[in-house]
Amino acid sequence: MGSGEGRAPRRGRARGNPGSFDGLHRSCKEVFPPQMEGVKLIVTKTLSSHFQVTHTVHMSTLGPSGYRFNATFLGDRQLGPTEVFPTLLGDMDSAGSLNAQVLQLLGERLRTKAVFQAQRSRFVTWQFDAEYRGDDCTAALTLGNPDLLAGSGILVAHFLQSVTARLVLGAELVYHRRPGEEGAILTLAAPNWEATLNVGYGGAHASYYHRANEQVQVGVELEANPRLQESSFAFGYQLNLPRANAVFRGLLDSSWSVGGVLEKRLPPLPVTLALGAFLNHRRDRFHCGFGVTVA
Amino acid sequence: KSAPKSQKSAPKSPKNPPKIPLKIPKNQPQNPHKSAPKPAQNALKIPKKSAPKSPQKSAPQSKKIGPKIPKKSAPKSQKWAPKCPKNHRKMELFPVQMEGVKLTVNKGLSNHFQVNHTVALSTLGESNYHFGATYVGTKHLSPTEAFPVLVGDMDNSGSLNAQVVHQVSSRIRSKIAFQTQQSKFVNWQVDGEYRGGDFTAALTLGNPDILMGSGILVAHYLQSVTPALALGAELVYHRRPGEEGAVLSLAGRYSAPSWIGTVTLGQAGAHLTYYHRASEQLQVGVEFEASTRLQDSSVAFGYQLELPRGNLLFRGSLDSSWQVGAVLEKKLPPLPLTLALGAFINHRKEKFHCGFGLTIG
Repeated sequence: MGSGEGRAPRRGRARGNPGSFDGLHRSCKEVFPPQMEGVKLIVTKTLSSHFQVTHTVHMSTLGPSGYRFNATFLGDRQLGPTEVFPTLLGDMDSAGSLNAQVLQLLGERLRTKAVFQAQRSRFVTWQFDAEYRGDDCTAALTLGNPDLLAGSGILVAHFLQSVTARLVLGAELVYHRRPGEEGAILTLAAPNWEATLNVGYGGAHASYYHRANEQVQVGVELEANPRLQESSFAFGYQLNLPRANAVFRGLLDSSWSVGGVLEKRLPPLPVTLALGAFLNHRRDRFHCGFGVTVA
Repeated sequence: KSAPKSQKSAPKSPKNPPKIPLKIPKNQPQNPHKSAPKPAQNALKIPKKSAPKSPQKSAPQSKKIGPKIPKKSAPKSQKWAPKCPKNHRKMELFPVQMEGVKLTVNKGLSNHFQVNHTVALSTLGESNYHFGATYVGTKHLSPTEAFPVLVGDMDNSGSLNAQVVHQVSSRIRSKIAFQTQQSKFVNWQVDGEYRGGDFTAALTLGNPDILMGSGILVAHYLQSVTPALALGAELVYHRRPGEEGAVLSLAGRYSAPSWIGTVTLGQAGAHLTYYHRASEQLQVGVEFEASTRLQDSSVAFGYQLELPRGNLLFRGSLDSSWQVGAVLEKKLPPLPLTLALGAFINHRKEKFHCGFGLTIG
């Protein structure tokens, strides 16, 4: 489905959901457990109400181990619980790869974002986008990796319109310097469940998210890619046990992958312990890992 | 030449080169809080895991110290001294290599019988399932030791590990052990130990094969010279069709109130250990092994930190092959659960292993 890097929030109206193209499937994706391997230690330090710093040490069983440093600056303007402007985010790892993002609000309805990504000393991604949030519609334009000298780049345009209180329809257009591609997004939403469908030349992506009760959430995802001639299906669930300070996520895949991640907070210390294991029956591979997050 | 002998000692727990524990085998490091001195929570008073289980554990566990010296000149004799409860503990200091996820369920069925199930999902080798059963008899030597003890362990590929330990008379204890890989017997041994007033003598017959005329005979003798000093010797005689040989090693142990030092010297090399109990919570051990056959030597440093009030046990080790490892075990009351997290990094080979395990019961 093109580059999929643009931003297309669900609805302009105050439904409360954050916007982003990936946000369409985000509810379902957050149910799935993240792949864990090796040992990870994360220490987060809040230096002031505006500035926060994170150190991550990852000792990996599969690839190289490394250290990563992350700094986040939050500005004064707060629009929602997770939206603060301007936001400056920087992430650097021990190999010298950099990830930087700047989010800024221009005017009441216009948001802009710039993202830079470098692997060691080479820039691999640089993109800029702007998003306009109307009362019941959202329009976004993203320019990815524009290269004036080589004359290449990617342009993504999104438009989402709230048709009814529950139904959101939209479209996405991705233009390469090569022949352009088009796609369509269809999203249905209800208080307890969400279904999202993306259909385009690049394939189809459908997801269904259901909140069974306060503790259990379930997600199902189907992806089909005609170009690679393959499709995959995943089922995940999340179990919240706030009284036990634990969250468990489980996953079952069409490639016969089974995985689970358990995250437990350990009061009174501000420490979270995460244990995860993934077993791929088809390839007979097993990964396990655990991590500690401090604050 | 020492190959037959190392087979015999393979079933021992990873850190004890050829230990043939005639006392009731102590727990594997997984259940530190259930060791004999402390009354177990369920009906049985015996330690849960015994030596036979160790060979089924994943291979990396046995490679704690860089080159594995053939277990000929072993500190085995040190364990057989009239009073040596601390020797076992010294060897349990070092963390066990963990990789993958392990789930262990222990169930005590009665005062005499206990069963355990272990499922191990491994990232490196094969995943497996073990079933173990332990029977403890009615003849009581002391509140924590009862005889006979029958221990059996079977895994999903059919490999069996069995031990029978019995106190034949007040001073003589005997043991029979069998080990098979799938359906082939790889180890069968019988031994007897005699405990005198101030000495211990033991005789072990390993893998005797009358038809082929091969086998290994090991004789131990350990004498308490003074209350603190014990000296002894070990003679290993092995025979195969066409060759035979004997190896002699001398051993000594000095025990002070807070530390123990042992030395084993022989034709095959030297083995020195030093164990120090720094405080109620901290124990430290250093081990040096040199092998003339492999022309190699290694040093390992390990420590154990116990926090009983925090239900925590931490073991760390540092090796001369630049291997650093640690295991953290935490009991989770009120449930009878123990969570173990372990990670090992070998800087020289740039390999990292981590794993965690859960023990129920």
